[in-house]
Amino acid sequence: MRERSRRLFHPESDIVTDVITRLEPDSRAASRGLSDLTIRNLFIIPTIAFLIIFNVFPLLYSLWTSFTDFRASTTAPANWIGLANYRELLNDPFIWRNFTITAKYVIISVTGQVVVGFGLAMLLNRAIPFKGLVTTLLLLPMMLSMAVVGLFWKLLYDPSFGIINYFLGLGKFEWLADPQVALWAVAIVDIWMWSPFVMLLSLAGLSAVPKHLYEAAEIDRAGPFYTFFRITLPLVAPILMIAIIFRTMEAFKTFDHAYILSSQPTTELIAIRLYKMAFLEWQTGLSSAFAYIVLIMVVAITNIYVKYLNRAKAR
Amino acid sequence: MAQIKLQNVQKFFGAVQVLRDINLEIADGEFVVMLGQSGCGKTTTLRAIAGLETVSSGTITIDGREVQDLKAADRDIAFVFQSFSLYPHMTVYENIAFPLRAVRIPQSDRDKEVKEVAKVLGIERLLSKRPSALSGGDMQRVAIGRALVRRPKALLMDEPIGALDAKLREQMRAEIKRLHIARNSTSVYVTHDQVEAMSLADRIVVMHDGVLQQVDSPEQVYLHPANLFVAQFVGSPVMNITDVSVEGSGTDALLRIGKSEGFRVPSAVVSHLNGAPAKLGIRPEAIILSHNGGEGFVETETTNVEPLGSHDIVDIRIGDETLRARCESGFARGEGERMWVSLDHHRAHFFDAGNGQSLRKEV
Repeated sequence: MRERSRRLFHPESDIVTDVITRLEPDSRAASRGLSDLTIRNLFIIPTIAFLIIFNVFPLLYSLWTSFTDFRASTTAPANWIGLANYRELLNDPFIWRNFTITAKYVIISVTGQVVVGFGLAMLLNRAIPFKGLVTTLLLLPMMLSMAVVGLFWKLLYDPSFGIINYFLGLGKFEWLADPQVALWAVAIVDIWMWSPFVMLLSLAGLSAVPKHLYEAAEIDRAGPFYTFFRITLPLVAPILMIAIIFRTMEAFKTFDHAYILSSQPTTELIAIRLYKMAFLEWQTGLSSAFAYIVLIMVVAITNIYVKYLNRAKAR
Repeated sequence: MAQIKLQNVQKFFGAVQVLRDINLEIADGEFVVMLGQSGCGKTTTLRAIAGLETVSSGTITIDGREVQDLKAADRDIAFVFQSFSLYPHMTVYENIAFPLRAVRIPQSDRDKEVKEVAKVLGIERLLSKRPSALSGGDMQRVAIGRALVRRPKALLMDEPIGALDAKLREQMRAEIKRLHIARNSTSVYVTHDQVEAMSLADRIVVMHDGVLQQVDSPEQVYLHPANLFVAQFVGSPVMNITDVSVEGSGTDALLRIGKSEGFRVPSAVVSHLNGAPAKLGIRPEAIILSHNGGEGFVETETTNVEPLGSHDIVDIRIGDETLRARCESGFARGEGERMWVSLDHHRAHFFDAGNGQSLRKEV
């Protein structure tokens, strides 16, 4: 650019040439210091380095570990044992029980969040008084720390002085100690906390449905249910699907509040089992293999959703 | 098919009154076009008939049944939106079948009806496509198909071809007319395009500021506009409107525009004005231009010439006013040309200078 301007201006007048010459030392310094490429690299390199150190390396290292009998609590060297860890895990009925519990938890929790979140979005998608305030209040649970949520819901669920039993008139009902109910209790907390997220995305989807389509449906004599299932839902489906993908992945990883709330075997989600295996039992190799199995499952499930999402978006 | 009747219909949006005492009867099988500028209340009237808008007072009856408190779904009318309003996630077939599915018409009947309508509209090849793959014209055909498929009592159309380009508009206009003739459905059509109104309507309803200005056949609206608004809204180029003074008595009177020398017309033409202040309305085609002077001609000069191919529009100066005249193409060679001008007094309109109402001679 500097070269071109010199050629462009030089024949015209001495004054211009003079200006260019005086500017040159600065621009030369700039070009010597930082080229576009250098600036670009300066921005990218820290991110790449960060990703390699904290994501790529642990990912590859744990992949290697998963094929060894490595225990992080000892100084003994890791021995390559091939697929033994995977074989052990996939043949362990207790692990399968963890998976079943987690699947049940994910289904209850995500379904609950979608129903409650979408319902709230439907309510908020009309003219109601104090809409902004109501929306903000509804979003609050999402902004809290999960551990804090776990702790205060433990108080709310308390059989002796918990406010939930008091309001529902359930006496000394054991929410978290009853093995049949504990998983539901944990899922309810997740629903309470994350329905606003589904609500927020659904609200965006709902407000994007053109009003004239509802008018057309009304003229076409479609009832409210028919309109909902044939117009609203299909048009909100892509964005709802994104919410479901996010929530499913998150639900699979649930740890904090579930760990705080209940120590029942019936609420031992895979993340809790994984934590115990890795940091209480110090079976590092085995837990790495376990983590990889979970990763593959989550990726597989997400892929199914993405396929549906793409199909919905194609419409 | 149905008759539609509006009686004393009023509509307020907050403090703003958008419909003022609308009284209108639409006969069975009639094609009525509501014509007016944006914001004149024509679309609100149509939406009120459809049930998409409530009315503040007054009654709307369809086939003798009061419907103003019924939901749109219970009025058995179809509506074609300007934005087409096709369901984007459904195929053309599903779009057209939607009104039938919504009321649980059996699959076999549904299929028959959809295919029949598609055939009438020439969109059979599009049935498996989605709206996003259609051209504007085809989208509107599908929208009309969806409206016609359930054989509604009346078909309401809100600027249905307003979003299309000029050529397609002309083509769709002809198609809508053909469909109306074939099906003879009671139709109410809203537009701001007077050409659409003139070419489609059995009767035109001209609206302005929420008030019906004139309800009449296209010919009557054009030939005998009820007031200044209608006179200037219908016709292209617009009717020349100018202050005029009437002088003289006896057999001839003198129509003087500004300080011009005036046009001599038979007294009978202006006798009903009784000397009251009036405005003269004269359409461009009722202004006669000549290269030679003669009896009743006034000398003038052209100030602008717009060649339009089939004819030219020539601006001439009379007194302080500029009048626009229509003449055969090439008649005027350019601006500043000397011309003689006369008015066809049979086609002269007079309007009350105060309220703008037509001062038509009682026959």
